Amino acid sequence: MIWKKQGYNICFAVIVLILALMPLFLSVGMISSSSFVLFIGKCMAYAIVAIGLDLIWGYTGILSLGHGLYFALGGYAMAMFLKLQATNGQITSFMQTGGMTELPLVWKPFLSTPLAMVLTIAVPAVLAGVIGYFIFRNRIKGVYFSIISQALTWAAYSLFTGLQSYTGGNVGITEITSIVGSIKGDANRAHMFTLFYASLAILVLIYMLSYYLTHKKFGKLLIAIRDGENRTYFSGYCVSRYKNFIYVLSAIFAAIAGAIFVNFNGSITPTQMTISYSITMVIWVAVGGRGTLVGAVIGAFLINLCDYSFSSGTMVEIWQYILGAIFVVTILFFKGGLVGIVRDQLPELTRKLKHKREAN
Amino acid sequence: MVQFMNTVFNGVSLSSIILLTSLGLAITFGLMRVINMAHGEFLMIGAYMTYVVQNIFAKFLPESVFSLYYFVAILAAFAVTFLLGALMERFIISKLYGREIDSLLATWGISLILQQAARSIFGMQGVNVTAPSFLNGGLEIGGCTFSYNRLFILVMVVACMLLVWYIMYKSNFGKQMRAVMQNRSMAQCMGINSKKVDMITFSFGSGLAGIAGCSVALLGSIDSTIGQSYIVNSFIAVVLGGVGKLIGTVFGSSIIGFASIGIENYTSASIAKAAVLFIVIVVLQFRPQGLFTIKSRKLDE
Amino acid sequence: MKIWKKATAMLLTGAIAVGCLAGCGSSSSGEDESVKVGILYSATGSMAISEGAVRDAEVLAIQEINEAGGVLGKQIEYVEEDGASEPSTFATKAEKLIDQDKVKTVFGCWTSASRKAVKPVFEEYGNLLWYPVQYEGMESSSNIVYTGAAPNQQIVPAIEYLVEQGYKKFFLLGSDYVFPRTANMIINAQCEALGVEVVGEEYAQMDQTDFGSIISKIEAAAPDVIINTLNGTGNVSFFKQMDEKNYSADDYMTMSFSIAEEEVATIGADILKDHMVSWNYYMTTDTPENEAFVKAYQDAYGSDRVTSDPAEAAYDAVYLWKAAVEKANSFEPADVISAIEEGGITFDAPEGTVELNADNHHLVKPVRIGVIDENGAINAVEETDPVEPDPYLTTYDWAVAANIQPIED
Repeated sequence: MIWKKQGYNICFAVIVLILALMPLFLSVGMISSSSFVLFIGKCMAYAIVAIGLDLIWGYTGILSLGHGLYFALGGYAMAMFLKLQATNGQITSFMQTGGMTELPLVWKPFLSTPLAMVLTIAVPAVLAGVIGYFIFRNRIKGVYFSIISQALTWAAYSLFTGLQSYTGGNVGITEITSIVGSIKGDANRAHMFTLFYASLAILVLIYMLSYYLTHKKFGKLLIAIRDGENRTYFSGYCVSRYKNFIYVLSAIFAAIAGAIFVNFNGSITPTQMTISYSITMVIWVAVGGRGTLVGAVIGAFLINLCDYSFSSGTMVEIWQYILGAIFVVTILFFKGGLVGIVRDQLPELTRKLKHKREAN
Repeated sequence: MVQFMNTVFNGVSLSSIILLTSLGLAITFGLMRVINMAHGEFLMIGAYMTYVVQNIFAKFLPESVFSLYYFVAILAAFAVTFLLGALMERFIISKLYGREIDSLLATWGISLILQQAARSIFGMQGVNVTAPSFLNGGLEIGGCTFSYNRLFILVMVVACMLLVWYIMYKSNFGKQMRAVMQNRSMAQCMGINSKKVDMITFSFGSGLAGIAGCSVALLGSIDSTIGQSYIVNSFIAVVLGGVGKLIGTVFGSSIIGFASIGIENYTSASIAKAAVLFIVIVVLQFRPQGLFTIKSRKLDE
Repeated sequence: MKIWKKATAMLLTGAIAVGCLAGCGSSSSGEDESVKVGILYSATGSMAISEGAVRDAEVLAIQEINEAGGVLGKQIEYVEEDGASEPSTFATKAEKLIDQDKVKTVFGCWTSASRKAVKPVFEEYGNLLWYPVQYEGMESSSNIVYTGAAPNQQIVPAIEYLVEQGYKKFFLLGSDYVFPRTANMIINAQCEALGVEVVGEEYAQMDQTDFGSIISKIEAAAPDVIINTLNGTGNVSFFKQMDEKNYSADDYMTMSFSIAEEEVATIGADILKDHMVSWNYYMTTDTPENEAFVKAYQDAYGSDRVTSDPAEAAYDAVYLWKAAVEKANSFEPADVISAIEEGGITFDAPEGTVELNADNHHLVKPVRIGVIDENGAINAVEETDPVEPDPYLTTYDWAVAANIQPIED
């Protein structure tokens, strides 16, 4: 019985187990290089965003095509904090190129560690809260919401590339040493594993929080909003408030993911807040399986791993076609994504096969 | 004064380009509620068709008729994107009616495929088309140069608008189309072949993207990413104007066009872009359905 | 219930399989006859338009070297990765090439954003990157070799030339991006020192398609030359829309730093006729090496393809790496870097003999101011002796006075 009830959680546990064993795989040589583990670290960040997106899209039916914005905001905040730690509060070279002589006011709070940590989450959260408040109060939904979220991301992208002396423009903030120190190369494996396990812990916590939320009455309400928003209103719930809450929560997840990503990646650029990057995030959820938390995690890992392995050499061209085809086929025929295939299509298939065998 | 005229003309010109690129969307998105993210790639195909037709003319036909290539290109671009649109509607879009958001994601996959196809066929480098000789130069009035090219695009927009208007509101097919879009089951009861109507409508919208591609081919680079630089602007124009109303798209495009030019006069392009998008977001807060809406008593629109 | 067991097992095996595929897939090594190098450019995304040509030039050089017997008796094997026009992807892929594929060096990157994203990767792993594009300077990493021009080998001499020619009112137009911003900072300082006026400075978005407003601003400022640092597709839109208004080089002369033969082909020679550019190499450069290079390039990729400065710098990079390896008598990046830093590495490049500066890892190269003719060829109208690279412009008094050297961070 446990399989039926806890199937998703067991899947997730297996994934976490594999992730937790990564360092072991590395030391016995099953994984040849530590850079692969670093890449998995980035994937964990992607998985966190995917969970957030799944909460608003898979459960609540709000499709945000601008989550790259919150991801990047979290990333920029963390990046600037780490940068200022490294430079002892001196201005960075892009600020100097922009003609500044002292640290601009907006970055001043990032000199203090606790304040920086709070702001990494608070800035995206407040932005999402304000945007969400107006959008949901005015009952903007469906594609209208998606397109507004695109416009918002695009506006932020333009601002970030335009205000080069504040944000580093197109180059962004580069050469960042992670919060635990350098993580590259075999010499720094201890640092890398610390960061890796810390991120894994955050991923697990976020999964558990999301699982808890979605399996309470609250989760049922989200699904009710997705399937019949007006009926939920008529039942006496203030839908916009719920929507806003879940939107802010997913923005916070995205920001946390961005902050983790920066640690593994060593740089943050405005590319992370482009529309296409944001759509890619949604695609992870779609391919993995919307509406199930583990689906989002699987999708994020799978697509990125494939991209990592196949976008090289002569494979590039073919991979682009395959990638496009995967999206189309998933959306057309497998609405539930990979998880859906395993959950719905496979049992049906086996049943059919069984019937055939019996008939014979 | 000269500066003012210039600004106005720039605004009109930019608006007309946005309008031209959004017209197709106004139909596929506005009427059919299909979010075709590959619309930009249809535009790209139109631009590449211009290049192909130009090369055919340069190779096989005498130089005296070379300038006429552009008219052939417009027809060819329309035909090719119309057909592709039909194929896409038949095999993909038709399975996604009523699933707006899913149509967005599926067509995003198509757009990836089409972009890679362009790179595979035409190479990574951009290609170039020479403007036909009758579009060289411009009309000079009081120190301002109104280039023939921009004026031609303006004419094209008006022509396309008229065509769309005629088809939608004056032709028999348009009646069927509007009937299907407004109340599908009722239309079916009246004996309208709704599948056929869907297919032709979508193809027509795609074909308009092809024509737009022909026009923007003369303004800039033709490469695999050209569609991406227009598509989001177009979507925003359609949403701002109000889904389902042609006049809305005209206003939406004009607002974005004039606001961009106006703000850019005082600040840098990046900041102007951010400001325009911000204005759009604010406007949509007050009119969530866009500036022009079809009155309806339906609860879920 | 059984299904769930199966499902989990499937997911598990799937995940492990993918993990191993990615982790161990390409770790086969140990061939003695070949040496692995990495090639890292964008094959997809918005930068693929520009980056394809440099990649082609490098592959050509590798093939030539292999045909001639390889390096230290070994054939060069190249591993190609796609940076997808995305700096983070560049960083990920650079790490993959170095750490997983164990390449001995990497040729790659076009945009400054991607270079800056991969720089710490190369520094931390002690590997070596060959960067083939002219750039904004203000950088000198011991793990990067810059085979394109430093600002004092392209921008500074071009401005000097313009002032000599009597141009007095400069308009600075660029993409909103680090290269144009830094280049214009340099140009502003230089113009002030030379006593010429900068009448305007405008930045277009990277993917901007409408230049109506910017052209109006240029008209209002009435400069006699436009210093153009636009990048990529912006150039095509800008020049086509200038042409629309009937403006030619007689009305507004332009001096461009990012328009090479490739771009001339996509913009159209009729539009760019008589405009000026500044590079170190043109397809028309008259050296026997260049004749062979152009021929080999066109034989390999088609007679309609053109060679350009970045492609040539990329081609040089491979040969310079070969020279450095042979001098070090080792493929190890650390040895190659020390060989470079001992100095004396030269290559008879298509642009003329270039020497690798031991201190700042840039090339000593001649500067050529070119004018585009009606056939799309660029002809040098002025050619200097090889110029020592000075990425930080420390030998220029006005630059030092303007305090444009970056701080270390």
